[in-house]
Amino acid sequence: MRNNLKVARIQANLTQQQLAEKVGVTRQTISLIEKGKYNPTLKLCLEICYALNKTLDEIFWVEK
Amino acid sequence: MRVVKLQKIKDERLLLKNLQNLRIAYMLQTIGIIGILGYVFITKGLDGMRKNPLWFVFILTTVVSAFLSMNISVEYESRKRSSKQSFLISLVVLTLISTIIGILTSFTEGFTAMNGVFIAGIVFLCGVVPISYVYYLRKKIDNQAD
Repeated sequence: MRNNLKVARIQANLTQQQLAEKVGVTRQTISLIEKGKYNPTLKLCLEICYALNKTLDEIFWVEK
Repeated sequence: MRVVKLQKIKDERLLLKNLQNLRIAYMLQTIGIIGILGYVFITKGLDGMRKNPLWFVFILTTVVSAFLSMNISVEYESRKRSSKQSFLISLVVLTLISTIIGILTSFTEGFTAMNGVFIAGIVFLCGVVPISYVYYLRKKIDNQAD
């Protein structure tokens, strides 16, 4: 699943490890989400959005 | 130096992976149990197999997994009758079947009428448990509908 997580994370000046610690997952999970290789639950998506101060739309919305 | 800490897994991706690993382990274990039981069946026959404690484990896990999958199939089914109606129909059919089995048993040579009642009772009890469970699950889903 494509998303804008990498851009948003770099804008927030966070490393994968820092973001992972903020949302309570492992760094590998963040990496896989950025690569679009793991489909996160809605709960985790929300946690990421809270950590980066963004909305779901901004990070996870993709045009059909 | 990096310190590796062992802690409870909270990462949802790893939890999922853990479940998938468990599934593989369960599959291997089941294949092993079936293999051992098959071996005992060949060497010691049906009675020998049933005396093996593994037989009990195998039956127990099969029953548990059957009851758990009822949970899933009940959610998937499309029903025309109400839960209560299906429950009553199942009960009537079960009563008929166990009565017939009971009558046939009591007329078989070497068995008394008491044996017939006993067997019918067992068949009825074995049937009533899953029927009530399915009824309970359907009722639960009906209540969630609105």
